[in-house]
Amino acid sequence: MAGSSVSRPTPSGVSTGRVMAEDAFEAVVAAHHAEIRRYLLRITARASDADDLSQETFLRAFRAYRALPPGANVRAWLFTIATNLGRNHFRGLSRRRRAYALVAQGATEGAPERADGRVVAGEARERLEQVIGTLPEKQRVAFIMRKMHELEYTEIGASLRCSEESARAHVFQALRKIRRGLEGHL
Amino acid sequence: MSARRSVCDEIEPDLLAVATGEASAGAIERVDGHVATCRSCRDELGHYRAVDGMVGRLRTIPLPGDDGTLARAELMSRLSDLRARLVGYGIFPSPLGRVLIARSEHGVALVQYLHEAGPPSRDVRRLLGEDAVLDQSGVESLSAELIEYLEGRRARLDWPLDLSRMRSEFQRRVLEATAALPYGAVASYAGIAARIGAPSAARPVAQALRWNPLPIVIPCHRVIGSDGALVGYAGKHVELKQRLLAVEGVKTVTARHDFKVRREAMYTLMNGEREYCVPTCGSLASQPLSVLTLFGTRERAEAAGFAPCSSCRPDLHPLVA
Repeated sequence: MAGSSVSRPTPSGVSTGRVMAEDAFEAVVAAHHAEIRRYLLRITARASDADDLSQETFLRAFRAYRALPPGANVRAWLFTIATNLGRNHFRGLSRRRRAYALVAQGATEGAPERADGRVVAGEARERLEQVIGTLPEKQRVAFIMRKMHELEYTEIGASLRCSEESARAHVFQALRKIRRGLEGHL
Repeated sequence: MSARRSVCDEIEPDLLAVATGEASAGAIERVDGHVATCRSCRDELGHYRAVDGMVGRLRTIPLPGDDGTLARAELMSRLSDLRARLVGYGIFPSPLGRVLIARSEHGVALVQYLHEAGPPSRDVRRLLGEDAVLDQSGVESLSAELIEYLEGRRARLDWPLDLSRMRSEFQRRVLEATAALPYGAVASYAGIAARIGAPSAARPVAQALRWNPLPIVIPCHRVIGSDGALVGYAGKHVELKQRLLAVEGVKTVTARHDFKVRREAMYTLMNGEREYCVPTCGSLASQPLSVLTLFGTRERAEAAGFAPCSSCRPDLHPLVA
């Protein structure tokens, strides 16, 4: 031991297996970070929350990555982690209150119809976003996964811990509410 | 809408599927047939198609706040921290009982005696950290070297070390001074305190060594009490300290509940000198252990780079065993 340096260790002795897993994970970040953050931005509507939750999603994924079976659907798996984090995020009472306040604000503002019955496209889009914001959580999350990120119903079901049929039902229920919410804008 | 027939309610899910482009061939046929005769459902299909179109356009519209560049840079930095902390560990039998070795990207991070059978205790798991993974093959070569060392067939463990588990800067200094003790030598706690420039800190030194995350590798077993007593090791396992020292050629005698290094049986180096002596040379016998380093054999003193004293000539007058 005499003379052995304890000051600056080198990473030379790392097993090849782990190095490969780490390189592969960098590729996972490169491929999916932007989309997962966008998904969380759609769910939380706040860039800072999307930053925090997307970071947490990938840190969790990194810890579990080695246990993932080869050939697993990494993208859907990341959506599952992000969905769980996003839903937990809204579970705090203060956040829920904030979300309700947001929704209430959206509902009262509404979209005023023009005298001639036509609305400009921008107004309709705002109304659409408001209606999406008022959807019950599961429907909203399922709708965003399906319609904004084109996930399969089986993948959405895995994220929400429900069946493929339930996932489809959530999305269709969301579409019905959006359809009703856009009455007069179509 | 109030006049909608039950058939309209039944076809509604198919209608939604058609509008969103997800319908089966059968559903398309059913919807086509129905809307040919039902005007309200034809209108409804048009509305749902319009909704689907708007939703589709919403997907392509740039999202405010959709720049993840900074977030990704921060993530990469956190991942790199996490990687450095992430350890793989293995457990294997040794002449001193079961031993756990953990390594990170930077080097060996933890060596622990597992005194009891079964999985690592809560204390050891806490030291490992929540991100530790069992990686027996990753530490196999380390365990082979450690066993060679414990069997006296190897005098060095030239491992890169990860000292990120140090509790304080003080502990780091104590462990670095301890790591510099040569194979087959002993010094006192007060001696380590003197080496790091804190001569009155013998007790804090003992505490710092008590929490040595890398026993054997950082040879805290070479640090003993001022009276030569081994004092303590690995909890209540001072006998392991005695065995490690015996492997290195340091003899001990049994004392009450302890073992003791007898200064009169050790070659003696005054710290800072280049020559080692017999313990009776000059005024050495009256010096406190804190200014001395003791060697069990001449070979060990010379392997550490010290020459025999030119006045007491330990080479010509070796200590009798």
